[in-house]
Amino acid sequence: MKSVSIDPANGAAGALFIAIGAVFAFQAFGLELGTTFRMGPGYFPLVLSLILIFLGCIVLVQATQVQGEPIGAFAWRGMLLILPAPIIFGLTVRGLGFVPALFLAALIAAFASTRMRPLMAVVLAIAVSLFSALVFIKGLGLPFRLFGPWLGY
Amino acid sequence: MDLFSNLALGFATAASPWNLLFCLVGALLGTLVGVLPGIGATATIAMLLPITFQLEPVSSLIMLAGIYYGAQYGGSTTAILINMPGESSSAVTALDGYQMARKGKAGAALAIAALGSFFAGSVSTFLVALFAPPLTSIALQFGAAEYFSLMVVGLVSSIALAHGSIVKALGMVVLGLLLGLVGTDIYSGTPRFTFGIREYSDGLNFVAVAVGIFGIAEILRNLESEKTREVLMAKVGGLMPSREDLKAMVAPMLRGTAIGSALGILPGGGAILASFASYTVEKRISKTPEEFGRGIVAGVAGPESANNAGAQTSFIPMLTLGIPANPVMALMIGAMIIQGIVPGPNVATEQPKLFWGIIASMWIGNLMLVVLNLPLIGLWVKLLTVPYYVLFPIIMAFCSIGVYSVNGNAYDLYAVAFFGLIGYVLAKLRCEPAPLLLGFVLGPLLEENLRRAMIISRGDPSVFVTRPISAILLLLALTVLIVVFLPSVRKKRDEVFVEED
Amino acid sequence: MKKLVAVLAAGLSVVGTLGAQAQTFPDRNITVVVPFSAGGPTDTVTRLVAEAMSKDLGQQVLVENVGGAGGTLGAGRVADADPDGYTLLLHHIGMATSATLYRKLPYDTLNAFDYIGLVTEVPMTLVARKDLEPTDLKSLVEYAKANKDTVTVANAGIGAASHLCGMMFMSAIDTPLVTVPYKGTGPAMTDLLGGQVDIMCDQTTNTTKQIQGGTIKAYAVTTPERLQVLPDIPTSTEGGLNNFDVSIWHGLYAPKGTPADVIDRLSKSLQVALADQNVVDRFAELGTAPSPASDATPAALKAKLEGEIARWKPVIEAAGQYAD
Repeated sequence: MKSVSIDPANGAAGALFIAIGAVFAFQAFGLELGTTFRMGPGYFPLVLSLILIFLGCIVLVQATQVQGEPIGAFAWRGMLLILPAPIIFGLTVRGLGFVPALFLAALIAAFASTRMRPLMAVVLAIAVSLFSALVFIKGLGLPFRLFGPWLGY
Repeated sequence: MDLFSNLALGFATAASPWNLLFCLVGALLGTLVGVLPGIGATATIAMLLPITFQLEPVSSLIMLAGIYYGAQYGGSTTAILINMPGESSSAVTALDGYQMARKGKAGAALAIAALGSFFAGSVSTFLVALFAPPLTSIALQFGAAEYFSLMVVGLVSSIALAHGSIVKALGMVVLGLLLGLVGTDIYSGTPRFTFGIREYSDGLNFVAVAVGIFGIAEILRNLESEKTREVLMAKVGGLMPSREDLKAMVAPMLRGTAIGSALGILPGGGAILASFASYTVEKRISKTPEEFGRGIVAGVAGPESANNAGAQTSFIPMLTLGIPANPVMALMIGAMIIQGIVPGPNVATEQPKLFWGIIASMWIGNLMLVVLNLPLIGLWVKLLTVPYYVLFPIIMAFCSIGVYSVNGNAYDLYAVAFFGLIGYVLAKLRCEPAPLLLGFVLGPLLEENLRRAMIISRGDPSVFVTRPISAILLLLALTVLIVVFLPSVRKKRDEVFVEED
Repeated sequence: MKKLVAVLAAGLSVVGTLGAQAQTFPDRNITVVVPFSAGGPTDTVTRLVAEAMSKDLGQQVLVENVGGAGGTLGAGRVADADPDGYTLLLHHIGMATSATLYRKLPYDTLNAFDYIGLVTEVPMTLVARKDLEPTDLKSLVEYAKANKDTVTVANAGIGAASHLCGMMFMSAIDTPLVTVPYKGTGPAMTDLLGGQVDIMCDQTTNTTKQIQGGTIKAYAVTTPERLQVLPDIPTSTEGGLNNFDVSIWHGLYAPKGTPADVIDRLSKSLQVALADQNVVDRFAELGTAPSPASDATPAALKAKLEGEIARWKPVIEAAGQYAD
């Protein structure tokens, strides 16, 4: 491109700042603002979100002037498998219990790497769950149930 | 000499064989649990607390002190090895410590952290012993206006945390401040930015945010190109720091100790700033500021010393006033109460054995830590040779447990995933996480103290300049700003940051 | 007692397993949920009681901290738990005040729980920075009324003991003062010690040692009688303030629908725990005492909860401050 070229990383960073700032500003408007001397709950956040939007604009302008490194590839497989791991643990720890929930979380996370083989993943997940159950529940006495009501315990 | 007889009493108490053993066991357990990723000092102590209930009061508190130092050091270990800080202080250690580890100097980084902590701990223990009461009266001079000004100084200096674009670093600070405000507004009871989720009404969990934007983002980055990563980590150099490393750590260690000791005394959250402040100072006076963020010794030695000194002196408000300066101290006070000791202004006179015993055990605890951890460094570094694809499912499992164990709140786990995503995206856009984390910690303090100062002064903003301590702090902040933005200095900065923009 | 026997008999005849459960209860660990973080006063009370109950029940009584949203998250957790007696809730006065402070609660306070018994009633103290002019409660009230725009009242956040007591004080003297909220008791007490704020009303758990050490000034205790640990501090009634009676009472609850025999067993165990010497001693150091056996009963707790909800509703509504 000859005319205006935007550095992708900085351009996106600027846009992201502006977008997040806008979300917070919008929410802050719904809160009582108060005055400078008697600040309401919305005052401080509103000022901050406006600053964030302003900074986002500067980053955006800078992006049109200097080119940096390209963003590079995203770890899609990693994101799809790593990020759900804590969510699954959170969703199942009370229902299935500590051991199965941890097993599932570790198992799913294990598949994020292309080098992990299924058997290895299962063994690893079992080992982690057993170790944690011994250390945290038996050893340190954390008050979590090993197996939960969904499994009939 | 009163002090000597007191200290003698303290050491006589703390150095009984059983108490030494409890201190050692505490330090060991603290290290072992604290080193698990995503489990910071607060979670570690909360988990290990019940173990100490069975012991008699003095032993129990001595063991607890051991756990505390162990957990702190364990947290730094994870920060250095896998970029997974469990609390705000180790987030700073992660900046250069993790880079040292990537260069194959993990052993050196760990040893520097241990030695720096030990030195700082020893010095500040004596400070506690010598000056606890007078220091307390200074700390009590700090009201809302002073804390606000102190936080402003912290914010202004946060620019130094970044080694890329200043504007983006400022953006990250502001974003962190905003995230810090999520939760119920204490002045009006209004929930803010919680999207109607009651589980977030006490704010976002620090560990969830830190683990997400540091640790998980790092895992994802490593998963982009798995092959290069293996090569990086296979290169583990010598375990011990070289002679040059040791020489390079002396001055930062001294400065860090001074900064940390001073900030730790303030009960309203001064210790939080210790490691950040030390990093800022080191970078500012360094001859090679461009090396910060790439694995420089001063970037580990300074903040680690500051952090440990601050952790130590934050015992001062607890011992002399009976007031917890942070969640960890709140746990300690809880433990004391269960043991039948209600901390208050009279602990030193009513229970001299306990008071001086704890002070002596602080030093012993630090010593144990060095004795224990220097040999363990080999073991920790070996962990890095475990293939990464085996390591990270384990990391994910432990950090899930760690985050969940604090409050049993599943929404904290959802926050981990969310901030993992945000952290990864921001990292891809070359935005650095450390300023965000500092903002996140400072956000609520800044707003709370600003509004409190205004309420107490009946809406008169002049309190910030008419109260001398506050005025001095604001002047300091202004100076830092001028130094940063002065044209000549600016030029130097630009040379330093040619890599970006 | 007859009724109880009848219920027991009915339980035995209708569901055989229920009777078997009563004989074997508890056959595994019991979890008591504390709806606050570890290390706080409620957590401390719970851990002491749990330890003593473990001895009596022959099973570990574990403490789980489910903090957040003024205790309503933990309470909601227990309201949803299986009513089998293995998940309990130890909550303080907030159980009653949340019903008004929160306009939307995930549980129905009066219908979601079964009652086991009162645990303790922690007295409150009205304290001030040590150089505040007034010398007794009467002159404090006059002083506060004359300087209502400058007298500051600290509290540890909405719904905290100090917040409730501060509200009750202002309601009792019929004068709104300047409220200064903090995040937790620690910072609030620090500013009181430093003389940054004027008065606070908080549990003896937090104030006793400071009062004894002379670092703060105490004007009154909010109980009908003087306290053993602070014999020199007059009651609020002695000081001429009649409708200022506040205590932070703690109760033990189970989810609604817990079998009556299990409740009975737990209630007995609570009574045993409250008579435990260690519990008595530790509570005394905190400036409180375990509830007498007659109060550690389901009926007493039920009556307390209902009475306190009714008492606090108008006070909170008049202050017009809600937590959601």
